[in-house]
Parts: sequence; C-alpha cells; structure tokens
Amino acid sequence: MIPHTISIDHPIASIANSIIYLAQSPTVKEFDLISFANQLLNGLGIVGILLLTGLGLAITFGVMRIINLAHGEFIMLGAYTTFVLQSTFKMDLLLTIPFSFLFTAIVGAIVELTIIRRLYGRPLETLLATWGLSIVLQGVVKLIFTAQLKYVKAPPYIRGNWTLFEAGGQAVQISIYRLFIILMALLLLALTAYLLYGTPLGREVRAVTQNRDMAKCLGVNTSLVDMATFAYGCGLAGVAGTVISSLKSVAPPMGQDYLVDAWMTVVTGGVDRLIGVLAGAFLIGQSNAALAYLLNDPTARVIVLAAVIVLIRYRPEGLFTVQKRG
Amino acid sequence: MAEVIGKIQRATNVPKRLIVISAVLLLILFVFPLVAGSFQTNLMAKLLLFGTLAVSLDLVWGFTGILSFAHGVFFTLGGYAMAYYLKLNLSASANTYGVALPDFMVWNGLKELPWFIAPLQFFPIAAIAMIAIPAGFAYIIGWFIFRSKVSGVYITIITLAISSALTTFFVSQQAFTGGTNGITDVSKLSFFGIVVPQLGLYYIILFFTAFVIAGSWWLTQSNFGLILRSVKENEQRISYLGYDVASFKIFIWTLSAGIAGIAGGLFVPLNRFISPVYLAVAFGTQIVIWVAVGGRGTLFGPVIAAILLGQLQNSVDRVTQDWQLIVGIILLAVVLFLPNGLMSLLPKKFRFTEINRIVLPRGSSSTAGFVRVELFDWYTPLVRLIQSVRSKR
Repeated sequence: MIPHTISIDHPIASIANSIIYLAQSPTVKEFDLISFANQLLNGLGIVGILLLTGLGLAITFGVMRIINLAHGEFIMLGAYTTFVLQSTFKMDLLLTIPFSFLFTAIVGAIVELTIIRRLYGRPLETLLATWGLSIVLQGVVKLIFTAQLKYVKAPPYIRGNWTLFEAGGQAVQISIYRLFIILMALLLLALTAYLLYGTPLGREVRAVTQNRDMAKCLGVNTSLVDMATFAYGCGLAGVAGTVISSLKSVAPPMGQDYLVDAWMTVVTGGVDRLIGVLAGAFLIGQSNAALAYLLNDPTARVIVLAAVIVLIRYRPEGLFTVQKRG
Repeated sequence: MAEVIGKIQRATNVPKRLIVISAVLLLILFVFPLVAGSFQTNLMAKLLLFGTLAVSLDLVWGFTGILSFAHGVFFTLGGYAMAYYLKLNLSASANTYGVALPDFMVWNGLKELPWFIAPLQFFPIAAIAMIAIPAGFAYIIGWFIFRSKVSGVYITIITLAISSALTTFFVSQQAFTGGTNGITDVSKLSFFGIVVPQLGLYYIILFFTAFVIAGSWWLTQSNFGLILRSVKENEQRISYLGYDVASFKIFIWTLSAGIAGIAGGLFVPLNRFISPVYLAVAFGTQIVIWVAVGGRGTLFGPVIAAILLGQLQNSVDRVTQDWQLIVGIILLAVVLFLPNGLMSLLPKKFRFTEINRIVLPRGSSSTAGFVRVELFDWYTPLVRLIQSVRSKR
C-alpha cells in the first residue's frame, strides 16, 4: 500500500496523489522474492522488445533528426514479410530475418526518395507526412491481407522455458524466446554501433549529420547517405517486426502498439548516442516490470509514461547526453 | 443592407467580404436542418463540433506553432464530465438497477457514488467541470512544458505520451470510467428540468461554433494574436522584446483546451456515448489532419476540412471499407503539394487571416507592428496585475 501523503502544494504532486489514490488495487500482493525475480526476468523481455523497436528509431531520429511516425508500420511490414515467407515457403523464422530487413529497407529507401527528401529541415511537416504514410501503409496491407489476424510460428528450438533455479516448488524461469529477443536486440545494437563508428560509411553518416554542407563540399554524396541511413533504420524496424511477429498476432494496426513506446525509449536514453537506447530500454522495461509487480499493469504504464514526460521536461536531450554548457 | 454591413464593419473591424460570407454560411447552416433529414442534421452537428475542436487546435498549432496530439484528450475530458451528468440524471425507470448508480459501476462492484463523481449530477457543476477539468489539466501540462527548454518536436512527443497514458488509465479504471466501452446509454440533454430536443441541440452547437470562430478571429486579429504569430515565427526575438513567451503559450493552450472541453461536452448528448476511443492517439491525429488539410492558421479551413472529410467519409463508407486509406492519401498529398492546406487554393482576397489588417497600419514594416504591440498590449498588464495580487497575498 502506498500512502498518499505527498503534499498538495505542487500541481504535479496533486496529480500523482489522485493517480495513486485510484491505483490502489483492492488486492495488494504480498512481496515474494521468487515471483519478483520472475517479474524482473519478464522485464528483460520487455527491455528486448523496446530495444529492438527503439533501435530503428534511434537511427532515423537520433542520427537523421527525422520524426518518423510510420516506424510502427515498418515493424508491421517486417512481421508481414515473415508471415508471407512462412506461409508460402514454410521458412524458418530465423531465416526470414534477412528478407524482412531487405524488404523494409527497400520500402524505406523508396519512401525517403519520394517523401522524406522533400521535407528535410521541416520537422513538423515530416511528422505529418510520415503519419499519412503510416495510414496509407496500414490501408494497403489491409487491402492485400484483409484485417484478419495472422499467426506466425516460432521454430521449436527457441520455444519453452529455461529454468534458472528452483526453490520450494517455485521456479525462476525465463522463456527462451525472450532470451532470444534480447540477444537479437543486443546483436543488432552492436552491429549498428560497428557500422556507425567503425566503417567509412558510418563516418560519412556522422559527417552528414554534423555538418551537411561541409560534408557535401568534401565530396560526400549526402543524398545517397541520407537514403542509406533511412533505409537502414527502416530495415531494423523490419527485423523487430519479424522477431515480434510470433509473440502476438500479426495485423495491420499492430505497429501502433509499439510506436509510443519506441519513442519513449529513444527520448529517455538520449538521441545522440546509441548506448542511450539501451539505457532507455532498460530503464523503462525494468521499471515497468517492477511497478507492474507492485501495482498492476495499466498503472505501471501510466506511471512510467508520466515519469518519462517529467524526464523530458528536465532533460529534453535525454538522460545520457552530455549537457552542453549554456 | 449595405449600410448595416458598413456599420458592423466600422464597429468590429471585420472585412466587409468576410461579414457577407459568414452571414451567408450561417444562414445556410441555420436553415440546413429544415431542409435535410434528421440523420444529416445529426451528422452536421457532429461535424460542426469536430470543426470547432479543429479550430481550438488551430489556435495553438496554426497561430502559435505548438503541434498537439492531445486535443482529443481535452475533448474527451469535457465529454466525460457531461456524460457523468447525463448518466446520473437518467430517470429511475430508465436505469435498470433502480438506484442512483450508473450501470457500469454496479457491474464493477461499486456500492456508492465516488465522491469525485457525485457533484457532477448537478448541471451547473457539470457545466463548469466540462470547461474547468480540461482547462485545468491543460494548464498544469502547459505550465510544466512551456516553462522549460522543451522545444517543438518534444512537446509533440509529450502530447503523444499523454494521450497514450490517459487512454491506458481510463481503460484500466473500469469501475469509474466504464472501461473500453466508456459511458453509454446516456439521457437526453436537459437542464433545470427542460429537455433539449435534437433540433435545439443542433442550434446550440451551431451557435457555439459561430461563437468560437468569431472569438478566435477577434483574438487572433488583436495585438495578442500578433504576439502569438510572432512567437510562431521567431520565439527568441519576441522574448528579447521583453515578453514572457511561456505565459502567452500557457494562456492560449489553456483557452484552447477549454474550447475543446466544451465541444466534448456538447458531443456527448449528440453521440449518446463517450469512450476512450476519443482519448486515443488516433483521434488526436484526426484533429491534426483536419487542421493540416484545411490550412493552418486559417480558422475557417479546419471547420471546412472537418465538414468536407466527414461528409466524404459518410458517402465513401457506403462503397468501401477503406476510408482510412483515403484519409492517408489526402494527408500525404496535402503535406507534399499543398503545405498551407485547402484554404490556400482560394484566391488571395478571400484569405482573411493571412494578413493582419487591423493592427498593422498600411505600408508598415514589422517593427512598427511590434511598437504598436507594446502600446496596445492588454495581456502583459493583466499578467502583471495578477502577479501583483499574488505577491501581496
């Protein structure tokens, strides 16, 4: 039970008070270490999903400063690619990953060429255009596949649970699929970091984002770099879609579920460094899991979102960005 | 007739053409329900409300440059306040459980009316709450985000998060809000014992819409409006001139939320239910789409866009299910090819909000405008007055 005794002289405190008042669930669980540990491992799964969905956004927003509200739809496209390959060729889920990366990257490149390119330097217009794009993508997918839910199967070797230890009839378990998600996310993070900081192309990308005109003067093909970066970000979203597809059903509006969370992850961690996405995902995922254990799921979500809003207020550039001296 | 128009023009400083056009439009909308059937009347009233909601977003986005996805939230907060009033005032015979407790509360095991909902059964309190709750909520958010370094895009992301968080919250508090279904089966609008017929509701909504547009016109053409535009154009410069930019933003943000709240409150007796659908990001973007398609900063554009798109949807729905796809294509086309919206298609002499005719003397540069703003500014003294009262206390 959380006592609601925060003083009411601050407007935020009074909101918090009423939220806490309404959130007090009639059945407050007893604290139990085993189930709490399970919940934290569960949180690790959320961290993996957030990291996966946020990573593509970290490229398009953090590196290119493009407000991509169609990010969720690229996730959805990745999931549908997997569904199509699996239903027509009986392909293994892991094998479809490169295909969905390629497909969404190509779609992303086309989008960059036709829409985003015209709107550089106008963030609010980009935001509107990508929202329009997201509606169009959802509509087109719905036309092709209908609104019916589709299901994707995970291969047998990443199903089931992995028991860490047992005590008194209770066990601390993590599902292997969640483990797979987080490993996949970390792998992609490492790959992205390598591409961005260890290759000539990455150096060009960073040069373009730091000073576009200067990079152009030095002979960097900026429009090609822009297209490649955006396509890569979309490709990452596609991979996220494939990995997520077997967790829930695949449907045209599925991307919307991940959009706000992906944004919160990127914004929390800070948009300048890739490590920020990892930190943001970890912070949001684990606090969500812990709060969900103590209170309940919706309340945890509300509190975490509120906390992120407060965070943006005081550190608009995110937690892990070095603050410039003003 | 011309004399009357001339008199109005001298008194209010509204361009002659605009007076004639709005009078004609108002007349058409006034006789509309007598010509059209009850379905069309209902639809039109709904679209007028959506148009008003879009105007309220236009005030903050088109004129001040703050893009918000949270206007659906303010709309719904106002709507819930009214919905509680209408729900609690069902006669005992209409209420299946015969007690003064809404059905969804009974289903969720509440024994008595929660203290924070109970006052809403009285009309004056509900009417005030429908404005005060969204406005108060907006004031808190506005105070919170505008008094900090948070800039353009991040504000938009915060509004997304607010919309998402409140949707989750309203869905989860099933006992108090009716969960996903929201509040359904409400009574007809009545106050002080008088039941308002459907036609009366239409005229109330029409009057409200006209009032909001006229008020917004007056506000945006005043010196206050000039400051808002300047904030949009160059926030830094206007703050160097000594204006407290944040309080202007908070003021217009709160005002616009209040308008959205009233629109929500009027929407409930028309629609007969309110649910978290209107809280969600999708509805918030719908409002943004109306403003973007109609034209930012045009006041009339958003209303026209809401009515056009609504009527279009009504006719398209009979042919195909894929209305959303069409909306997406329209939005993309407008953003790419018509950045200033449908209103920019009109010939220049009919685009009334573009040039500030009243404040700027003919041939003046913008500097002269700023000087005049300093002279005729009513807002800053008001703020100082409030501040001095506050500091004395």
